[in-house]
Amino acid sequence: MKTFFYNIGYFLLEASRTIRFNSLSNLFSVIGTGLILFLLGMVLTGWSVGNQLVQALEKEAEVSAYFKDDISEEQALDLVNTIQTIDGVQKAGYIDQTAAYEENKNMLGKEADILKLFEDNPFEAYIDVRINLNDMDAVIAKMSKLEGIEYVRDNREILNQLKGIVNALKIIGVLIALAVGVTTLIIISHMIRQGIYNNKDQINTLWLLGAPNGFVGFPFILAGTLLTLLGGALAAGLLSILMTKGYDQLSGYLMFLPFPPMEELRDKVCLLIIIISAGLGFVGSLFGITSIRKSN
Amino acid sequence: MIEAKDVSLIYQDGTVALKNINIEIKPGEMVYITGPSGSGKTSLLKLLMGMEYPTSGSLKVLGQTMKRGKGGRVRKLRKRIGPIFQEFKLIERRTALENVMMGMRFLGISPRKMKAEAISALKRVGLEHKIKAKVDHLSWGEAQRVAIARAVARKPVLLLADEPTGNLDQDNALNILHILNSFCDSNTAVVITTHATHLIENQENATYIRVKQGEISIERRGQSL
Repeated sequence: MKTFFYNIGYFLLEASRTIRFNSLSNLFSVIGTGLILFLLGMVLTGWSVGNQLVQALEKEAEVSAYFKDDISEEQALDLVNTIQTIDGVQKAGYIDQTAAYEENKNMLGKEADILKLFEDNPFEAYIDVRINLNDMDAVIAKMSKLEGIEYVRDNREILNQLKGIVNALKIIGVLIALAVGVTTLIIISHMIRQGIYNNKDQINTLWLLGAPNGFVGFPFILAGTLLTLLGGALAAGLLSILMTKGYDQLSGYLMFLPFPPMEELRDKVCLLIIIISAGLGFVGSLFGITSIRKSN
Repeated sequence: MIEAKDVSLIYQDGTVALKNINIEIKPGEMVYITGPSGSGKTSLLKLLMGMEYPTSGSLKVLGQTMKRGKGGRVRKLRKRIGPIFQEFKLIERRTALENVMMGMRFLGISPRKMKAEAISALKRVGLEHKIKAKVDHLSWGEAQRVAIARAVARKPVLLLADEPTGNLDQDNALNILHILNSFCDSNTAVVITTHATHLIENQENATYIRVKQGEISIERRGQSL
């Protein structure tokens, strides 16, 4: 360990020499890695936005329970209390006929004039139940069995479709993350092998002088990690520019969707990309220096 | 320090480099290995450095049995050896000082001490004015002296030098032999292969190993031997 600390300056110098020695090839590797990581950053952003949407929708998951005709208001309020005790129910509230009318009038907006065609209020009283989306099936089953409940209306189809989209996005994200990981590892380990080949005489001399593998290999690990970090920084820079310029426009077009705050998301994704790049660089370099061990 | 019993070295192509040699070298001993080109001098030195392994027989260097499959231990052993290679094996695009320090970096020496020892070693070989010169720009003889400085700066217990005077004029060659000889006083065994028999033939207190077609004859001179 003492030797390691004594030689930090040397390791950094050697790493920079390795980088400079094959600068053009390394520059292209950094750009390639940066673009791949940029792609990963885009997927992570999409993933994050998708998750935020689903979480928001999950919080807003509501079902409506309609009464049988012969039920009194008192019995209806008792049912509200019963529903409130079911596991997975966040909140339950009684919506009387007048409130149901107003709600639908608001929802129809400019089309609300159509309601004037009805002599009586066409809407029924119901119980508005806010639930946890994950408990939706169990809650609906329990509510449907309650005495006095005619039927339960849910927006399960829409929620399930949204969940499906987000799940697909997650799978695509994992696949892209895997592809990015493997590609980066290949690029970096190839780059390191190239560096080792270029310095094979020096490596051989160091061995003959008794240098341990760690001493010989560490500058290459450092070089690989630094190059991938540069790629990560490039990706983070591109993502930052793109998100700063494009995010407001996108959320403006889709203003009815609850997008996460741009700054927070941008900072998180950029930081994650840089951490991933350092990790991939380190692992890729480790793969790369296996060629040292083989030739030793 | 070095103990070889019936050691033979046969290369993969069938060339017999060394045949049943027996050597014992003690701490502080000065050993010259001489012989014509292709006689097996460098092969013997390569065996001692762990660059080759005996095909048969037993070889121990600094207590370590030298055989294939013990690479890790042999590498550790090399830290205690000061090798001087015939082709120098200096690291290109580095200064003389950097090259000398490179040989010491993994020995656990503090950077300040390392630099001081490296400068001192370069002064000993008469290269104090070339400390910051890139080794690529040095003459053949100067490069050889950097290689020697790199070996001696490590303060090894065993110095192995392959033709260390091969590219030097007589004065520099004698100076280098004198420097290498001086290590014997601090109990370092020094093993040198050389063609330059005229420089060493009158030396007392030394062992002469003459190699001819893979076989050796040993002549010991001096009271300690």
